[in-house]
Amino acid sequence: MGRILIVDDTLFMRTLLKNILFSGGHDIVGEAGDGDEAITKYKELKPDLVTMDVVMPKVNGIEALKAIKGLDPNARVVMCTAVGQEQMVKLAIKTGARGYIIKPFQAPKVLEEIKNVLGS
Amino acid sequence: MSELDAYRSLYIAESRENHETIVKNLLILENGPDESAIAEIFRSAHSLKGMSASMGFEGMERLCHAMEDVFQEIRSGKLDVSPDLMDVLLSGSDSIESMLDDIEDGRQGISDDLEETVKQLKNLTSGNTAGQSASVASAGTENLQDIYSQHLKDEPDNNTQYGGIRYRITVQLQPDCHSKNIRGMIVLQNLEELGHIESVSPSRGVIEDGEFDGSFVVEITSDAGEEALQVTSSISDVSSVLIETVAQPVVPQPSGIQKQPPVQERDGGTEKAERTDKSDKGREIKNIRVDITRLDQMMNLVEDLVINRGRITQIARKYQIKELDETLNMVGRSVSDLQNLMMNIRMIPLNHIFNRFPRTVRDVTHKEGKEVEFVIEGGETELDRSVMDGLNDPLLHLIRNGIDHGIESPEIRLEHGKTAKGLLKLSARRDRDNVIITIEDDGAGISPEKVLAKALKNGLISPEEAEGLSQEEIFDMLFLPGFSTADKITDISGRGVGLDVVKNAIDSLKGTIKVESVKNKGTKFELLLPPTMAIVNVMMVRINGKRCAIPVNNVVEVASLTQERIHHIGTHETVLLREELLHLDRLDDMFGKSEKSEILVVLSHQNKKRSIAVDLIEGQQEVVIKPLSTIVGMCRGVSGVTIPGDGEVVPVLDVNSIIKET
Repeated sequence: MGRILIVDDTLFMRTLLKNILFSGGHDIVGEAGDGDEAITKYKELKPDLVTMDVVMPKVNGIEALKAIKGLDPNARVVMCTAVGQEQMVKLAIKTGARGYIIKPFQAPKVLEEIKNVLGS
Repeated sequence: MSELDAYRSLYIAESRENHETIVKNLLILENGPDESAIAEIFRSAHSLKGMSASMGFEGMERLCHAMEDVFQEIRSGKLDVSPDLMDVLLSGSDSIESMLDDIEDGRQGISDDLEETVKQLKNLTSGNTAGQSASVASAGTENLQDIYSQHLKDEPDNNTQYGGIRYRITVQLQPDCHSKNIRGMIVLQNLEELGHIESVSPSRGVIEDGEFDGSFVVEITSDAGEEALQVTSSISDVSSVLIETVAQPVVPQPSGIQKQPPVQERDGGTEKAERTDKSDKGREIKNIRVDITRLDQMMNLVEDLVINRGRITQIARKYQIKELDETLNMVGRSVSDLQNLMMNIRMIPLNHIFNRFPRTVRDVTHKEGKEVEFVIEGGETELDRSVMDGLNDPLLHLIRNGIDHGIESPEIRLEHGKTAKGLLKLSARRDRDNVIITIEDDGAGISPEKVLAKALKNGLISPEEAEGLSQEEIFDMLFLPGFSTADKITDISGRGVGLDVVKNAIDSLKGTIKVESVKNKGTKFELLLPPTMAIVNVMMVRINGKRCAIPVNNVVEVASLTQERIHHIGTHETVLLREELLHLDRLDDMFGKSEKSEILVVLSHQNKKRSIAVDLIEGQQEVVIKPLSTIVGMCRGVSGVTIPGDGEVVPVLDVNSIIKET
């Protein structure tokens, strides 16, 4: 099971995701509310996996993803996006995201994706 | 649904914040283009949409989606911010608010005008459908394209020689896969890290566009081994991965670009990271949200603690256990520290309600055809949540009045040598034990003559009483019930409208309100509020040996009660105190007849006075007032009970009801 950093600008989504990941036996090592904080926390915590929201204040998810990949090319980042953000996901994948989960979250799908990305 | 109900209060709290952000930035936008305001609204609408979808609030999701689309177009320059657009957006934000109210009441978020608003919003964007599902992110599209093209430049040169074995990998996606293209891209991206992709069929472009049947073939040269290739390709939504070697020897590899299978690499990393885990965890979360009812529960527990401490103190005294007494003193200190801490936790900044007012000001200003600059100061001042809840309506009322009747139209203002734009200032500050909130305008002011004339006309005072009233006393009449009547709203700048309602609301918060006004200079309302309602300063007295608490703000004065002072008028006892005749109440029915009532306490509520006789005054102290249990029900003259440090349960006198009975 992995050590996960949750990045989302709403506490609501973070809480929802945190509880899903907890139920899957994962360890939530940190939370970040924007891209900037995500980068700082990534450096500090070296998580096994980051769940990354796209639309966030200051530094958005794509920029944060790029920065994290720059710090650690092996970083496992899973994008969290709403339906209809396909272009964004494509861009994220090209920037090095390893997976994506769709909001609203469905616990089994989220856990499957996290498991797969952690295993890769 | 029950599972999601646990998230409801979190959803509401955070959605309200997002809604406030939307309103605040819409008002900024109204004053001219502002990119950061647009980005903020977009982001808030997006967050609201996502949260609502998670909670299953479908109406809210659709509304926020429509709003998000509009801002996507504004951001990409396809739509201009016009006054008409502003009206639609503001009514959208109103719908969000009423839907949140509905959700807070335990329903699904219904708003009558939802369909109409969504339709209007959709009409705004329907002309530009191309932009709708395109790119969505908080940075501009161009920005993201930059990142993209930069990334492409970083990709390894195609001519680089890779070593290893050449494999043909056939990947089959599940038929119900949500976005085949994304899954395909992830597989390709993952494989790229393990070697060099020689060919993809169908082509990458076709896969990216999702125009394939769910299966594709990749030829890759890699030294990672079949197992690593298998693992890396088996992502979500992949139903099968078939790996074959292609019989083709490849050029020996230069050692520099050899890639490790990431599985092993990560294992090392995980171990190292786990060591730092424990020390990092402690400083993760700095703020938490707590349901207010839980704080109330905690507060109740603290009070139980106080009661039981009192009991133990009595036991300690009874058996004269000195050591226990000392320990209990320490416990007492901890308990009162705990009580203070709990009070502090319940405090929230006034901005919580202040932030809603700019919108009201905007609406009233527009409606009245006036120009108003609205200034908020001291919004960081904190008040107890219970006080805050009751403050919104009276403040709203005063703000509306200020614009409606205080600030003049631009033409009249210019005539009086003022700026066309009026100033309305809402400020708050802490003054020792109280919080002072003022609402000040630089408008026409209130005419004392007109107030007096009206009070006479409405029969609130007699012509004799009107003689020699100070301006302050005259203005106080504005707060009397019956001062203004609905059909005479515009008299005296309509200042009297509903001010008695405001006064009642402030009274119920144990606060006071006063007004100052200078003709043609403006009007200032000043509200003096206790920072918390939970703690009240009371005077502890004994009547017939029994303890009773009287809220200090109801006590006018204390005097000695001598027989000479008592006069009998009919069956009633009255007291003559400095030429003033006061009704005397013995409260015998509450506490039993006392033989030694030698002290007179004069009480007042809303300018009405009355006196009671007590045996002894013990002193003044801050206490927590608890309402009476529903089992006890209503009890005449008692507003609640309090439990001071010694654990005794003491009734709190309801001065209001005692005075009303006179």
